[in-house]
Amino acid sequence: MSRPVNTVVVVGRDAAAWLTAFGLRYAFGRTGVAVTVVELPSMLSPVDVYPSLPTLGGLHGLLGVDEREAVAACAGVYCLGQRFANWSGGSAPFVHAYDTQPIGLNNVSLLQYWVKARGEGLAIAFDDFSLGATMAKQGRIELDADVSDSFSRPAHGYQFDAVAYVAMIKQRALRAGVTVMAGGVGAVKVEGERITSITLADGRTVEADLFVDASGAEAVLMRHMPGDGFESWSRWLACDRMLTASGQRLDPLPAYAQIAAFQAGWIGLYPLQDRTAIVACYDSGKLSDGEMLNTLPVLTGMRLQGEAVASALAPGYRPRPWIGNCVAIGETAVALEPLDAVSLHIVQTGLSHLISFFPVDADHMLEAGVYNAGLARHAENIRDFQIAHYRLNQRRDEPFWDRAREMSLPPTLDYKMQLFSARGAVALYDDEAFQASNWASIFIGHGLMPRAYDPLVDMLAHDDQVMQLKRMLSFIAQEVKAMPALESQLRPAQPRTNALY
Amino acid sequence: MAKPLDVVIVGGGTSGWMSAAALVGVLKPNICRVRLIESDEIGIVGVGEATLPQMRDFNEAIGIIEPEMMAASNATFKLGIDFRDWGFKGSRYNHPFGKHGQPLSGVAFHHHWVKARQNGHAFDLDDFSYPIVACRTNRFEFPAKDPKVINATYSYAYQFDAHLYSKYLRGFAEARGVVRTEGMVVDVTRDGESGNVASVTLKSGEVVAGDLFIDCSGFRSLLMGQTLEVPFEDWSKWLPCDRAWAVPCERSEDFHPYTRSTAREGGWQWRIPLQHRTGNGYCFSSSFISEDEAHATLLANLDGKAQADPRMLRFKAGRRTHSWFKNCIGIGLASGFLEPLESTSIYLVQVAVMNLIRLFPRVPFDPVLAAEFNRLVDVEYDRVRDFLILHYHANSRDDSELWRYTRNMEVPDSLKHKLKIFKHRGHIEAYKDGLFAPSSWLAVLVGQGVVPDGYERLADNMEFTDLIGRMEELRGRIQTRVDAMPSHDDFVRDYCPSPSAVTAPPARVEVGA
Repeated sequence: MSRPVNTVVVVGRDAAAWLTAFGLRYAFGRTGVAVTVVELPSMLSPVDVYPSLPTLGGLHGLLGVDEREAVAACAGVYCLGQRFANWSGGSAPFVHAYDTQPIGLNNVSLLQYWVKARGEGLAIAFDDFSLGATMAKQGRIELDADVSDSFSRPAHGYQFDAVAYVAMIKQRALRAGVTVMAGGVGAVKVEGERITSITLADGRTVEADLFVDASGAEAVLMRHMPGDGFESWSRWLACDRMLTASGQRLDPLPAYAQIAAFQAGWIGLYPLQDRTAIVACYDSGKLSDGEMLNTLPVLTGMRLQGEAVASALAPGYRPRPWIGNCVAIGETAVALEPLDAVSLHIVQTGLSHLISFFPVDADHMLEAGVYNAGLARHAENIRDFQIAHYRLNQRRDEPFWDRAREMSLPPTLDYKMQLFSARGAVALYDDEAFQASNWASIFIGHGLMPRAYDPLVDMLAHDDQVMQLKRMLSFIAQEVKAMPALESQLRPAQPRTNALY
Repeated sequence: MAKPLDVVIVGGGTSGWMSAAALVGVLKPNICRVRLIESDEIGIVGVGEATLPQMRDFNEAIGIIEPEMMAASNATFKLGIDFRDWGFKGSRYNHPFGKHGQPLSGVAFHHHWVKARQNGHAFDLDDFSYPIVACRTNRFEFPAKDPKVINATYSYAYQFDAHLYSKYLRGFAEARGVVRTEGMVVDVTRDGESGNVASVTLKSGEVVAGDLFIDCSGFRSLLMGQTLEVPFEDWSKWLPCDRAWAVPCERSEDFHPYTRSTAREGGWQWRIPLQHRTGNGYCFSSSFISEDEAHATLLANLDGKAQADPRMLRFKAGRRTHSWFKNCIGIGLASGFLEPLESTSIYLVQVAVMNLIRLFPRVPFDPVLAAEFNRLVDVEYDRVRDFLILHYHANSRDDSELWRYTRNMEVPDSLKHKLKIFKHRGHIEAYKDGLFAPSSWLAVLVGQGVVPDGYERLADNMEFTDLIGRMEELRGRIQTRVDAMPSHDDFVRDYCPSPSAVTAPPARVEVGA
């Protein structure tokens, strides 16, 4: 006879811990699952930011978090994509927008027509054919647009002030019945593949059917599990330091985050309602923290406000993020740099997998195998997406970037890039966070041009091809022109309160 | 604009003519020119007379008119497969083209079904499948367009005379410019440098050169196997059937909108009703039963007069390690074989042809495009293989050696994991590419007797009495709507009557039901 899981203890901090606790309680609270957070001291500082992909809006919807309220509560700004600058030598920046795949013609993707037209002298950038990218460039957004008959569906992510975001989620989690215990973890008692109890710093002992480790790189629980291990991805992702700072608010607010490469890594500018969050990821072998801090104002053209915080980055993953009755979520499971706004997405993926595979039997958690395999595939695909940016750089004579161009790739990415160069087709695997249009956007943006276009393009007469492309451009221009400016879509920010924190 | 490629298809039959028709149906002559070589001396295998719903996409993509094609091939409609005696003798289930029930509180229906069952309400899962309920009284009509109504929850396929279907496709293809050459291929010439196939020589002495060759020569695998020596991966340890006797018999009363598969001592017997006759066959393993025994069993189990002597087909389960090698693409039996248990033969041809069109090359051989083609085809083969093995493996028959063997054999890890997690908690993984969808796995798993021990906890968010009420309401709604459907017989006669159709006695009730 199986024994249901009725108690869950989440050990961790910040968004990973609170989103997980909130999500689990929200999903299973009514079925009698008690969720407790053993809260570790926050690693966030007031300058931190959470950039996110559009999928977060979906999670918020499931958790009953209203989008406009969240934006108002967290100095949030809608984000239609990321603008990549200085990655490809002299060529122009591009916007990777979160569009759905634009509808093609005759079942052939738009990209194929563009590749052909480009060969014939078309000088219009690929991202100009993206509704989302055009909206981003013009700072316009329509939140409730009825785009059902539109040829692509723009989607938006967000930037949130990290401290405010955690406060908001924590408050909602507590309201949903999550209980909290403060203090560090002392001993972790493991029998076989099972945590029987943990002892807190103050001596209290906590038992649970299921433990979740959302402590980040520390892996407070996971590192006690038999068979635990961490596999580094630093051979592909060489940035090992991250500096977070803050600058003045941008005016007008851009509807994208700016991701600019520089000599030793990249710098992200994330617009918020009251400031601009700055995140630099870099290779400490090329630049010290002090040097990074000193160059930041020059590289960003911003005067820094408040503190700047440096921390370590160690990309990699746990091949077995679920062992016995202990599940790793967020950075504990998959550690990636914040490029492509993936950090919260990784938390979300772990959470949604854990909800789907919430163990049916507290004594036999066979779900671990499915969770581990699914999360690994998901993480590898995201990792490949990040690596692609580095690999395709065209910054010459800078050792950091030269090395990135020459590194050997994971076979999955190598295959994807070969197929794309041959034909502009994207090989999608199971569990991809980014879809064909996302991959095409960054491949083309970084200059990976298909050698040949799909012969099916020539099913359409040449004049029709040209006319259709023109029609798309004028359609996009018209649509975007009718949309309101980003700023008008933001409610006035509420006074910020950290009272709960 | 590049010059069009010259495509040479070696072999006719279903795969040859599907390939030809699709290439000229979709691609214009400025992209490829198609020539097909076939010999009247070589018989056509044509085992697959039942299809999958995906076939409709194929027909639509190339521009085939459904009622015309159906009338020309004596076709009937198919809503699923009726499996008898598979899990154990006397058992019966249907693998329908549709979902069971609908999600409640965001949780897949079968989790609720498991919960109800564990709490004293042992509903029959089949009662919640619209097409299964329609099959019980031999009814058919097209699914509704409005996705919200209950009679939109299914899809359909065809059962037809594959030989007539290829004849129909031949007319379609020739009208669009395919050049058919009658002749036997007696020699193949390869390019010394690239190793590509350069030309084939016919018995008449004619040399046919081409840029791209499609091998549709069937089991002989003339180009892929004999010329290019692409190795064959043998899967017969999991799928031991290696023979089939096939025989048509007179059409009988039971004109069902589904294919029937009855497990027998050494394999299984199919029954496929067409407009002019009923197709039958016994697919068996010669390691477990003799050809003579199978022959006798088949003839003893016909419900109409046999129209010919049974024909013997020999095969082996497995596939070539490459479906696209050099400038040659194997389509159909030349690239692999999986027994017709789930009507996948024509589907696998379709997948190959449509992927070829999607990845159609500009030069005779582009290794990257070939690799992607092979990746996509391999995924399909692997997944169909696992699904077929499931039928054999999850059984509790103890009456013959075949069933004991397949129950105890080691199955591929991919299937082992699938069975384990389904048994534990009813989870079925959905994949991006390839057959079969979770609803199909569910039907066969439960049908073969694998019932989950647990269900998704989220299902507990629903009040139990509310759940039972919703289930009863759904079951009633399905039955009520099905009762208003026309019979399969009437529908076929009205929509796509074949000139050679035989009128059967107007029975509506299934014999032996």
